[in-house]
Amino acid sequence: MNHSSRVLRVVGSWILAAGLLGAAPLTQALEDKLVVVTSFPKDLTGAFKAAFEKKYPGVKVEMLKKKTTAGVKYLQETASNNTSDMFWASAPDAFEVLKGDGLLQKYQVKATGIPDMIGAYPINDPDGYYKGFAGAGYGIMWNERYIKAKKLPAPRDWSDLAKPVYHGHVGMSAPSRSGTTHLTVETLLQGQGWEKGWAEWKAIAGNFNTVTERSFGVPDGVNSGQFGLGVVIDFFGLSSQASGFPVDFVYPSVTTLVPANIAIVANAPHPEAAGAFIEFLMSLQGQELLLNPKIRRLPVRPDIYGKAPADFPNPFKDKSIGAAVKFDVVKSKNRYNLVNSLFDVMITYRLDDLRAATKAIQDAEAALSGKSNAEAQRLIDEAKALVGAVPVDEATALDPDFAAVFKKKRKKATDKVTGRQAEVEAEWDKLVKANYAKAKTLAEQAKSML
Amino acid sequence: MAERGPVSVRIEDVHVSFGRTRVLTGVSLHIEPGEFFAFLGPSGSGKSTLLRAIAGFGPTPAGRILIGDQDVTTLPPWKRNVGMVFQSYALWPHMTVRKNVAFGLEERKVAAAEIRRRVDAALELVGLSEFGERRPAQLSGGQQQRVALARTVVVEPRVLLLDEPLSNLDANLRVQMRRDILELQRKLALTTIFVTHDQEEANTMSDRMAVLNDGVIQQVGVPMQLYDRPANLFVADFLGTANVLEGRFAVEHGRSRFRDESGIEMPINDVVKYESGAVMFRPQNLTIQSPGSGHAAGIVPLPGTVQYVEFLGSIVRYAVAVGPHVILVDASHRQGDRVFPQDAAVEVGVDPACVITLAQ
Amino acid sequence: MTTFARTPFGPAGVAILLGVFLLVFLVIPVAKVVFVAFQDPNTGAPTLVNFVDFFNTSLFRESFFNSLYVALMSVVVASVIAMPLAYFTTRFNFNGAILIQTLGVIPLIMPPFVGAVAMQLLFGTNGSINLLLDEWFGINIPFMEGLNGVILVESIHYFPFILINLSAALNNIDRAMEESAQNLGASGLRLFRRIVFPLAMPGYVAGASLVFLKVFDDLGTPLLLNVNNMLAPQAYLRISSIGISDPMGYVISVILVLFSLFALWTSFLAMRGKEYATVQKGGGGLMKRDLRVWEKAGAYAVVIFTLLIVLSPHIGLTLLSFGTIWSFSVLPDAYTLANYQEVIGTTSEYITNTMLYAGLAALIDVVFGTAIAYLVWRTGLVGRQWLDYLATGALAIPGVVLGIGYLRTFYDVEVPFLDKPLASWWVIIVVALAVRRLPYALRACVAALQQVAVALEEAAENLGATKFRTVKRVVVPLMSGGIIAGFITSFATAAVELSATIMLVSAESDAPLSYGIYVFMQSAAGRGPGAALGMIAVIIVGVATYLSHRVIERGKRERALEAALAGGV
Repeated sequence: MNHSSRVLRVVGSWILAAGLLGAAPLTQALEDKLVVVTSFPKDLTGAFKAAFEKKYPGVKVEMLKKKTTAGVKYLQETASNNTSDMFWASAPDAFEVLKGDGLLQKYQVKATGIPDMIGAYPINDPDGYYKGFAGAGYGIMWNERYIKAKKLPAPRDWSDLAKPVYHGHVGMSAPSRSGTTHLTVETLLQGQGWEKGWAEWKAIAGNFNTVTERSFGVPDGVNSGQFGLGVVIDFFGLSSQASGFPVDFVYPSVTTLVPANIAIVANAPHPEAAGAFIEFLMSLQGQELLLNPKIRRLPVRPDIYGKAPADFPNPFKDKSIGAAVKFDVVKSKNRYNLVNSLFDVMITYRLDDLRAATKAIQDAEAALSGKSNAEAQRLIDEAKALVGAVPVDEATALDPDFAAVFKKKRKKATDKVTGRQAEVEAEWDKLVKANYAKAKTLAEQAKSML
Repeated sequence: MAERGPVSVRIEDVHVSFGRTRVLTGVSLHIEPGEFFAFLGPSGSGKSTLLRAIAGFGPTPAGRILIGDQDVTTLPPWKRNVGMVFQSYALWPHMTVRKNVAFGLEERKVAAAEIRRRVDAALELVGLSEFGERRPAQLSGGQQQRVALARTVVVEPRVLLLDEPLSNLDANLRVQMRRDILELQRKLALTTIFVTHDQEEANTMSDRMAVLNDGVIQQVGVPMQLYDRPANLFVADFLGTANVLEGRFAVEHGRSRFRDESGIEMPINDVVKYESGAVMFRPQNLTIQSPGSGHAAGIVPLPGTVQYVEFLGSIVRYAVAVGPHVILVDASHRQGDRVFPQDAAVEVGVDPACVITLAQ
Repeated sequence: MTTFARTPFGPAGVAILLGVFLLVFLVIPVAKVVFVAFQDPNTGAPTLVNFVDFFNTSLFRESFFNSLYVALMSVVVASVIAMPLAYFTTRFNFNGAILIQTLGVIPLIMPPFVGAVAMQLLFGTNGSINLLLDEWFGINIPFMEGLNGVILVESIHYFPFILINLSAALNNIDRAMEESAQNLGASGLRLFRRIVFPLAMPGYVAGASLVFLKVFDDLGTPLLLNVNNMLAPQAYLRISSIGISDPMGYVISVILVLFSLFALWTSFLAMRGKEYATVQKGGGGLMKRDLRVWEKAGAYAVVIFTLLIVLSPHIGLTLLSFGTIWSFSVLPDAYTLANYQEVIGTTSEYITNTMLYAGLAALIDVVFGTAIAYLVWRTGLVGRQWLDYLATGALAIPGVVLGIGYLRTFYDVEVPFLDKPLASWWVIIVVALAVRRLPYALRACVAALQQVAVALEEAAENLGATKFRTVKRVVVPLMSGGIIAGFITSFATAAVELSATIMLVSAESDAPLSYGIYVFMQSAAGRGPGAALGMIAVIIVGVATYLSHRVIERGKRERALEAALAGGV
């Protein structure tokens, strides 16, 4: 049949094309290749890849785009036969996890002129495994057209997001999905205390429109006007603005500036090229790239800010950015998975129940305003307490035995852990669901009295 | 709806076209109440189209179709109350036999008890009472045919239409089924029209038939009349084996006489009004004998040679070369009769009383 | 049944090779993933305690019912879209039928997550439609809220499965079936409900069960719409969370696989013994009738309205790719070609990779599909049905599970000469795609084989051809239409697959188009270029599909011509 031979010819040319693709380029002093697993968007990675390849023409940089969580998973799954050289992402805790698994190797930066701290956060890993190359802080971004159309005020601080006026207009990612979101959650918990911090998060979450699966889902939703306000890391807000979207961004008072990091993977096949990439990142040339409007990250070299546009925030001068909380890295690390799980159980997976309870409370409070009714006030307070309640106290959360349920790694067959995560979560879920339902009933009861 | 007694079907100047292709041209027919009527013709003659037009399928025809006194020309199929049995039987494979038969009654919103009674009666009628819960695929071809019949007659249609009802059955079953259908038709006293391409089927079953070709009715009449006195060459040829000689007619002494180019001549019993035409005579009306053995009065002898002999059981068929023609002669076979061998010189005897003249 | 006395090893050898392939690339990787579900997380001992936990957790029960609800509702909505389209194309003579056949399958060739982005912009709470509705009537319809959004996106994406299968089934119905019912007084909807639809049921069930399975397992769409409380997202979220080694993700995977297999089995049972549409004699296909003018207008209105809805992802994507900024407005602020200019330089590698991967995967699929179809339907090998079950079982494996399974199984396997793990060699992506699409190609090949009369084979063998030469010279050429149809389905759907590939891409230079789009879509400035890349993907796959169609049609015409010539001599 002549059409089948035609098919064969087409396929043949594909195979030929494949062979050509596989042909290797020439080599130089460094290795000829560098494989970087990164969570950063193409706007950022593309600029660095291009500049680095221009400086070292013999090296071909492969940017392997994975979401932070998937990147960690990827490195873990592939560790037995590693092909990646570097991990390049925002969240320091993702690096902590990899460090804990022995998947990173130490590196000593040769470049000078980089301070120890950005905001209240140490720029580099004290153990020397991963290096900060840019600062970033969490804040609130909003869509100007959206808040104008819905007649909403522009927010200034976290507590604003809990106001009834924003009900159904806020978006955020889940800490289990996004390392940087985790930091924001943890920052508020550390800044306000465990109980109060969670209560505030749940008051805000009661206004959520959605919990996005990816951290980029939040700026994406605000940019398209799907929801009006979002809890995002600064460069999402700033780069969206720079791309022309009608959005604005603000740093609230309680935030922390955290470094975005890079590390060399253990057993990296191209260690020399990896070292050169880190040095390039820390150099004046590399740091200046961060000022690009599509990238918009805070350089870790104070000398770069002279070249920045006028309105560019400078954390080394403006001490109000990110200095309010002294971030406790060890505390954060110990309860990392537990906080993630708690957030998901209380907020992500029970968003509908939480929203309904919050709406009922907001309605009751609106009805109460200007009147005095002690009984109604008592019911509302009780409802609020139920919504805010956390199934575990801080001491338990920090108890290494309890936290182990959430991060157990049975290295040996003899290792034993008591309790199963699914069991604990099911218990929490039962409690949380009942609390939200009760709170809703109480608030409705209070409203009916008014 | 139920009219008392059988109804007539009248077809008045019906034309049907598929796009630009004419399928039926100027068809007019009157089918009597209770009559068993056949549409006979080769494939593509339009016989199925005509049947389908009566049922309401296919393009809306020009002209009129009347069932009883009702003009149904533009009525959709489901409002005609005309029962049709399809060539493929079209039994629904997803329903049991019983459900198939009950379908039409359900569509007519008959009460459940009544449906049960009538379905039982219909299955009884076709001898399939035991098979109600089977699926069509579990039945033989003949049984499927009976289900299709039962399904159609159970709704008591005004007219029964059968599209090639026997074509999917094997020879033995066909003969049996032929009688069964006839018996059923008599019992129900239903005006019935059936389509076939097999003249034997038409001959044995129908009271009258219409022969169609190229979308035009060639002749209408009782089977024997059509066979013996075909109106044209097509009918003559289609209804059975025919010897046809073309030539000219001349009137001599008040009688017509036929003559063809090769010199064959014969007298014709009546006066032919046209000059050129043909004569037709069927093989079984001829005689064959040795040359010069004498003839009965009036028989026209045609000398020739036996080209080949076929033994067909009850008859022996000779192909005899007469001049440039080959004339087929059927001699009935009786044990011990002499059979002429190939190349034997013979004389074929034609009885002018059995010769049909046809216009060109 | 033909005997294999002359070539006792051949077919068995092929069967064993195919069995080994499926074992290594389907069974073992999946087993590697699911076995965690049967381990006690504390001791590592085999246990079912994780399944007890699953059913004790209200969130999981809820997720299970949500997944079930979404899958069933998607089947309902997809049927509502597909049924009128299938009915119009098979029942009436009008040009809209060609429109449906051409445009109706396009939704399949768009990566679902890209569709979700576009749908959100058009139908979201503050999407174009709702902004207009709000302006005109002051109302807001929650098309995209929660499960609604998933149902809408999934039905629009997968309804072609029903359309294709149902149209084929309707075309196979003997028209006398319909006429005899009319003759007995049935018409209109009753006729459709009582006769036409039940007869088309096998085709409908085949399509609907595919939709059900795909939706039940689909991950990308709920994730993109931020719907978490469904099974597939729950499995994915748990498997891919940092540092969590919770077995629940794997438990959910097992439940997904088991339930999908159950659904597959149910549809198999439902269809058994009902493949009757094709065995009837007589005129094939429903009666086609011409439409009156007002009917034609009505039919066009229905068709155009439906096509507008099903092509809305493409409309949205087109706007996005040519738009500058599209934010809380009915349409983009302005239009530009910049997005295309930006991607044009970077696409060639993605395109080459996509063509290579999808092309090779589809080629593997039709070769294996033909072989399995032949072994199962034309030989008497013991256990041959298992090849069919195994290959079809791939339908029930979520892409993520397969992806993780491959990483687990093949990371320690070195490719000879290349000095890299098999799991990071691009060929593994091809294998994953081939395994995932094999069921489609297999169905097409089985259908094609069933239309080749055994007598044709016997005639070739009688004339001295060996089994293999018979297959090569007689069977395969006669099956070529079906084989190419299988190739197209595999190719087009593999070209837009993301769920398995995203786990397996280990170098940007190995990445296919859908991965490229995904990467672009992760930044504010990349949305336009990502959409442009998406449009390029749709056009390329569309053109490739169209060209293959032409090849089939040409082949058919050539064969018809040859037959006519042979008949003339």
